[in-house]
Amino acid sequence: MSTPLAILGIFGDAIDFIFNAREARTGGAEVGGLGEFASLTGKHLLVTVAAVGLASLVALPLGLYLGHKRRGGFLAVSVSNVGRAVPSLVLIALFIAFLGVGFANVALALALLAIPPILTNAYVGVTQVDRDVIDAAVGQGLTDGQVMRQIELPLALPLIFGGLRTSVVNVIATATIAPIAGVVTLGDPIISQSVYGDAGKLAAAIVVALLAVVAEVGLGAAQRAVTPAPLRGTPGATRRGRFFVKTAGKGLSTS
Amino acid sequence: MSGALGSIPLLAQGGEGFVRNRESGSGASCVSDDGVCPAWIVDHFDRYMEPLGRHVLLTVVALAIGFSISFTLALLAHRRRWLIAPVVQLTGILYTIPSLALFFLLLPITGRGFLTAEIALVSYTLLIIFRNVVTGLDGVPSDVVDAARGMGLNDRQVLWRVEIPLALPEIAAGLRIAATTTVGLASLAFFAGAGGLGDPIYADLNFKSNVLVAGGLCVLLAIALDLLVLAVQRLLTPWTRAVPA
Amino acid sequence: MSTPDQTPSGAAAAASPASAASPDRAPAQLEFVDVVKRYPGASAATIESLSLDVPAGEILVLVGPSGCGKTTVMRMVNRMIEPSGGQILIDGEPNTTRPAAELRRDIGYVIQQTGLFPHRTIAENVATVPKLLGWPKARIADRTAELLELVGLDPEFAGRYPAQLSGGQRQRVGVARALAVDPPLMLMDEPFGAIDPITRERLQNEFLRLQETLKRTIVFVTHDIDEAIKMGDRIAVMRPGGHLAQYATPAELLLSPADEFVEQFVGADRALKRLALGRVRDLRLEETVRVRYGDPTAWVREQLRTSQVPYPLVVDADGRPLAWLDDDDLRGERVVEGVGSAVATVERDDILRDAFSDVLAHRVQFAAVVDGHGAVIGILSSDAVARELAPGPAPVEPVEAGAGPGTGS
Repeated sequence: MSTPLAILGIFGDAIDFIFNAREARTGGAEVGGLGEFASLTGKHLLVTVAAVGLASLVALPLGLYLGHKRRGGFLAVSVSNVGRAVPSLVLIALFIAFLGVGFANVALALALLAIPPILTNAYVGVTQVDRDVIDAAVGQGLTDGQVMRQIELPLALPLIFGGLRTSVVNVIATATIAPIAGVVTLGDPIISQSVYGDAGKLAAAIVVALLAVVAEVGLGAAQRAVTPAPLRGTPGATRRGRFFVKTAGKGLSTS
Repeated sequence: MSGALGSIPLLAQGGEGFVRNRESGSGASCVSDDGVCPAWIVDHFDRYMEPLGRHVLLTVVALAIGFSISFTLALLAHRRRWLIAPVVQLTGILYTIPSLALFFLLLPITGRGFLTAEIALVSYTLLIIFRNVVTGLDGVPSDVVDAARGMGLNDRQVLWRVEIPLALPEIAAGLRIAATTTVGLASLAFFAGAGGLGDPIYADLNFKSNVLVAGGLCVLLAIALDLLVLAVQRLLTPWTRAVPA
Repeated sequence: MSTPDQTPSGAAAAASPASAASPDRAPAQLEFVDVVKRYPGASAATIESLSLDVPAGEILVLVGPSGCGKTTVMRMVNRMIEPSGGQILIDGEPNTTRPAAELRRDIGYVIQQTGLFPHRTIAENVATVPKLLGWPKARIADRTAELLELVGLDPEFAGRYPAQLSGGQRQRVGVARALAVDPPLMLMDEPFGAIDPITRERLQNEFLRLQETLKRTIVFVTHDIDEAIKMGDRIAVMRPGGHLAQYATPAELLLSPADEFVEQFVGADRALKRLALGRVRDLRLEETVRVRYGDPTAWVREQLRTSQVPYPLVVDADGRPLAWLDDDDLRGERVVEGVGSAVATVERDDILRDAFSDVLAHRVQFAAVVDGHGAVIGILSSDAVARELAPGPAPVEPVEAGAGPGTGS
């Protein structure tokens, strides 16, 4: 099975599987083909958007507010530490065991997973704004709300986008195991291989990997686009957000 | 490829038959209701020891290999700056590919088992550790390096006696993130046929006691590794705790 | 007048000039021969052919505005920067004959940000080079303790980390670390630049006192002309573009700046700056009538006719100055107890600038020069100071030895 030609053959077969439907191994229904992959990808993206959207609704305002008040650093860091310590499979399994299966539950579980990077990056993004800049703004008569909207938000945008990017990529990866909770995403051909066969699971793996890379690269471009021109080119400002989690932890634990 | 680890029995895919036999003297109704059953947990706790050990092995081996690779790469890139961008891009792509997808992409090449799981787990540690080592080395104050060279330390002495010790907090921070991340990803290693705590979890997703125990062990393992690295770091860097007198 | 010695460093330096731990090493003679530094791609050279001769045991100060290349010159000595041309000779031997790291272990190195190792204790920091050279542990321990005492640091600092010290203390450690193997040559890059003015002054004074006993050859970089004048035996003024504008002793530099650039850089008050170079003992002292309270005023007036100084000075039984008297004080029959105005007192070793400042702060523009016991040994007049500053040959009246321009410390 592992001669080079055979490997190529398997990958070729998998790519064929993406474009052309074939009969299921168990017989009967047709599986694979662009139509099915389009619908699986759609479902995959739907649950991702729902989860990240839900997480943003909670984490963005909280992170921005805590950052503005320069309080709750401990919370922001703890959430990210706890978030890392709970494996995604464990989180989803806990949801299945205690709340049951279904789209809403999976979206909720994935949202919990998406919250830490968004919260931490929003918090750090705001707190890293130079205090002198804010002091000068307040000194010129800007109100609290104006400071948040006109100064902190624009300057924190690159990091906020970094957080969103991290969460989206994480959720796309984790949504692959959503089929165990009854949500048919791109993970379905991987997990239910008895129906799809080897070519099917490999095909799905390829599509999921591509999806994640495209999301990473696309959101990276978006992140650069929202970075104020003068800040571009400084590696720290536009780098992927997840690294700021650690930096935040260090800075906050000493203050 | 798992021959070298022959003493560790590889679990069958999905841990078939792992928890299914729930027959037990105590609290039978609780068990049949998929509930949280302390008595069952106490009786069956030893069942989780083998997957736990396996999980620890998966994690520690991945961290050790990942650290060796990325630390070496970072030391090379520290002097040859042009290496940083390509290494970050390459390891960044590896980091982005969902682990589950990577397991299955590797299957036709490396087959099922420990090796496939390790390749995937190691590939996720690279970016984190590499970046932190480089950041840590870059963060060493330039006047300290200048003074070190000015006093006659050669390049290797500057690196090992000054730069690396001062980068330790940052390196340890990277290792902590890598450790907790790897514990989480190793819970999916059973998809590659490499066992770990994901096995029992996946085997009976509806049984609350099972998910709690296996999941709880996962979380505890992540916390324990995190604290272990932190403790070692604090032991090695006493100066970071010196308070101005 | 003179600032009291606030640390034991002076005493320690005097008590143990040569250390038991390191053999007496002769200071190095340093010579720059046509040294050029040119960076590839740069249109102009950073350093244009520089030639300097630094006698052993002297402090060479490299001074100039930022971008003049003074730090580059210093860093070429221990080859932190390699010259593009020319040679740097240490005791006649090119500094390229030995591997750079080996060379550097023999050259003390002090920089503005101290560059102390944050992860090593003070003692470990000081022991850096001895350890590199493989000294035995006991010798390192002895030398470390000795050095901490030498720079005026309490032994209890030995086990602390740099973060636990103040800026001034850290710079003392930096100096101790550079002195560890008693190097024949030291490089100091704005060593006191990041320290508050009061501490800086104290460290400068202590360092000069140390240098009196250690007699190292030192290359000292600063952008501060006052510091240059105070610290330097010789000053090299650098002009942007890496040209040497003037190489002279501080007195020569202040008396006859080579060109307009140096004149501007030295400052419009260069005549006053020369006051920092001279000491009271360099000037000819004058005399006046010394009186006691209760003396008859008629006698005082009589004595005053032949006095160089137009005011009589009241002294006590031990000859210590009490007050200056003027005409109003001499109206009665006798000098009344407690009359007169305050006396500025200075010592022979005081710097002229400080002495003159003290004179200016008093109503009577003469100062009593006192000996170690406080007894008056002569009078310093502001005229004498002014004569000292006047360029050219001394005025008509015959001047005794020692009245020439100060030669620095």
